[in-house]
Amino acid sequence: IGKKVQAIYLWWHKPVINKELLQSLPNLKVIANSGVGMDHLDLKLVASFGVKMANAPRAVSSSTADTGMALLLASARRLVEVHNISISPSMEYCEADILGVKVAGATLGIVGMGSIGYKIALRAKAFEMNILYHNRTQRKVQEEQAVGATYCKKIDSLLQQADFVMLVVSLTPQTHKLIGKRELKLMKPTATLINISRGAVVDQEALLAALQTGVIRAAALDVTSPEPLPRDHSLLKLKNIIITPHLGIKTDKATYMITEEAVENILAALNGLPLPSEVLPS
Amino acid sequence: VWYHRPVINEELLQSLPNLKIVASAGVGIDHLDLKLLSSYGVKVSNTPFVVSTDTADMGMALLLASARRLVEGHEMAVSPDTEYFPADWLGVEVSGATLGILGMGTIGYKVAERAKAFEMKILYHNRNQRKKEEESAVGAVYCKKIDDLLQQSDFVLLAVTLTPQTHKLIGKRELELMKPTATLINISRGLVVDQDALVEALQNKVIKAAALDVTYPEPLPRDHPLLKLKNVIITPHIGSATKKTRWVMVEEMTESIEAGLAGLPIPREVL
Repeated sequence: IGKKVQAIYLWWHKPVINKELLQSLPNLKVIANSGVGMDHLDLKLVASFGVKMANAPRAVSSSTADTGMALLLASARRLVEVHNISISPSMEYCEADILGVKVAGATLGIVGMGSIGYKIALRAKAFEMNILYHNRTQRKVQEEQAVGATYCKKIDSLLQQADFVMLVVSLTPQTHKLIGKRELKLMKPTATLINISRGAVVDQEALLAALQTGVIRAAALDVTSPEPLPRDHSLLKLKNIIITPHLGIKTDKATYMITEEAVENILAALNGLPLPSEVLPS
Repeated sequence: VWYHRPVINEELLQSLPNLKIVASAGVGIDHLDLKLLSSYGVKVSNTPFVVSTDTADMGMALLLASARRLVEGHEMAVSPDTEYFPADWLGVEVSGATLGILGMGTIGYKVAERAKAFEMKILYHNRNQRKKEEESAVGAVYCKKIDDLLQQSDFVLLAVTLTPQTHKLIGKRELELMKPTATLINISRGLVVDQDALVEALQNKVIKAAALDVTYPEPLPRDHPLLKLKNVIITPHIGSATKKTRWVMVEEMTESIEAGLAGLPIPREVL
């Protein structure tokens, strides 16, 4: 059966693409990924077998940006905490204790201003937030002006000024543990860290310590390392954290669009045509 | 008056012969009998505009949390029983969906401004139609009949004032007009919704989900069915509950009280 397989549609990192699998599928022409992140694939290895790779960049940006904003708002207004208070069998709570953080007028620092980061900026602008961003390259002036975003060439400058820091980078060797003890210390003690990129972008042990000692106010993570975290992990026990199960693109519409994009790429590869969203090993 | 306490009734007013002013926190004054207070010569003030942004933010927070199953997702992520995250566990897409806003006052309009950035299609129903420029700025389409809004919306957000006309505005009929895939978000007052009809609609999948910052009463009795439904998010009336806004509210209330006691024109007087 291995000889019949010409295409793989990779759904949530399964199957695992390793040398063994590639050797057992001599007629494999293309691997289409369900999502935009390719950090789970050994791009050089796959290319060495003459297999093309594609991701699904268009379908993910709005859904992932929405997830980022959902987490920002939920964390600022302590939504999970207060929902649990509202439905708990005990009626003991003091209204004065459940104040949240005002979003309008607050400063959002976006780390990684690709398509997803930019869509977040568009949304945050409507919430009357001040927007700073850090990126490998500066965006065009018109793009910056459209969302009122100010470029921070040095990440330190962004970290020191932001009330909300949102991570929207791809995972690369350069962004691995981008946010560690040093970066968390630079952040305001009233600040919130939101991660919708990859768990490995954050030094998780450093984050745990920072949240436990009040170095930063709170965190909201759609991604962790690993997913899910071991059930005895200390991050799960914190009051000032929201963790979601990699919701990024988990909507009916996004799933449909991702599959459409994957099929487009697969059909193109099988017909010897250029792939709409080919990913090459850099 | 803070969170509807103390209750202002005839007994209380009779026992306070020198009462000059009641300053109410927030914008809603449905808990105050204005005619009664006026008959005792007591003036009333509220804090109308300062709450608008935070309340609009709360509306969007509830919309996003409900659509993306945030509370459920967090529970799954931290539950001791979770072994893996199922690949077919999905929420509903917000970007590009249709939002129907009932009540396009200051708060409703701020919700529209935010929803526009999510590329949402915006319908609204209001006592009066807004100006063309205001509609264009947020891409909002007026629905003269509430039924049209209910039938087309993926998310229905209530941002009306509670009045005799809006009491039980959303009942069994209205819920049945909504799409079975639709979500109801309430940031106005609990009494705008027929709560029993809502419970039934949620249990029978007449609508998909609800997210409520307000209920009747607040808080709900601990055995109320709304507390047990998986497709409901409830928050304890925190629309305006941020440090910055509460600070300004207290400042404004103090300002109104001082003016009232000095016999000067009262800022934010409610007539």
